[in-house]
Amino acid sequence: MRHPVTDLTLASDEILAERSADGDTVAFAVLVRRHGPYLRAFAARITGSSADADDAVQEALITAWDALSSLEDFSKVRAWLTSIVSRKSTDRIRRRKPSSELDEQRAEADHRGPEARAIASSQLDALADVLAALPEGQRQCWVLKEVGGYSYDEIADELDITPAVVRGRLARARATVISEMEVWK
Amino acid sequence: MTMDTPPPAGEPDDSTSAGTIGDSGYTLEDLSDYSDRGREPAIPAIDDNAECQSVLASIERVGALSRDLVAKEATDHPALDESWFGSLFAAISSEAKAGRDIPLSSPDPRTRLSITEGAVRELVRAAGDGVDGALVGRCQLHGDLDGAGSGIRVELSISVLLGAPVHEVAALVRQRVYSELLAHTELAVEAVDVTVADVHVIPNPQGGTE
Repeated sequence: MRHPVTDLTLASDEILAERSADGDTVAFAVLVRRHGPYLRAFAARITGSSADADDAVQEALITAWDALSSLEDFSKVRAWLTSIVSRKSTDRIRRRKPSSELDEQRAEADHRGPEARAIASSQLDALADVLAALPEGQRQCWVLKEVGGYSYDEIADELDITPAVVRGRLARARATVISEMEVWK
Repeated sequence: MTMDTPPPAGEPDDSTSAGTIGDSGYTLEDLSDYSDRGREPAIPAIDDNAECQSVLASIERVGALSRDLVAKEATDHPALDESWFGSLFAAISSEAKAGRDIPLSSPDPRTRLSITEGAVRELVRAAGDGVDGALVGRCQLHGDLDGAGSGIRVELSISVLLGAPVHEVAALVRQRVYSELLAHTELAVEAVDVTVADVHVIPNPQGGTE
């Protein structure tokens, strides 16, 4: 580095995003290190796979790098990155499994069962297991809604399903999560 | 109307959670919508129903827990895999953002020299960052860059370290940027506009590098 005294880790998201938009890869690296772990955790919850999450986040960040100068409010870069990550995550799911109806029925058999849930040491561990055991389509809707903060219509767009299906999946996910988490109240 | 129609196979397109909560006339989905709307406008039949209130509290609790879960997973696994990081940064480059070419005069008429807009912005950032307490954000070059002699205006935003003299820092950045551009480019710089857009802090007294 030419200017070792400059510590970009002190800079706000806004400054880092602005520099990245101007082509500063060092600033973009600081931004990626700052928000990468969150983006990865979010993508992992949507895709249910850490390998897919890594790929989706990487793809999202490459897209983001190219599109940064179109960002209107640089201080909202994290929310913007999150929305690109959710799109890339749902893209991967669509590519991975064309038949979503089958998933709904089959996914129940996957993942950790009730035994694992019983020995979960905290309510967050318990929730992680409950979410992992949800049918895939329900889990995606759940994470996009509750963590991503998206509306039914936005989720429907991303997953290529109708808002009514989103509503139905969320209702079933919610009923399951609430009843499974009742013991942790 | 028959009551014994089985639910359609595959994916139902509406709620399967029939039945209203606490005889309120509202389903779990209705309560979810109500919660998503911030319980506005108020529906007395829900607000005055103890069972609905308990379900609403559960809806909000599991939603908050889900956000906590992702946040906790992020803090539990803060390190990014270095090979993942490496392949990301192999895929992006500042060349994609190099911008316009700015011609430079050449001693040899057969050779055309130029510097990219991106390289000039990098020069500006380095000059600004070199001022104690300043970090450069956006840098834009306005005007004709093709050497026709017309002047250009440099617009940049900076962040100033909390407690540093803002005016002095901004003036120093303006000066430093101007003289660096003069020294390393042939741009006719008419103005350097510096906007203080942000402040930054050093998290702990020992951790600072500036």
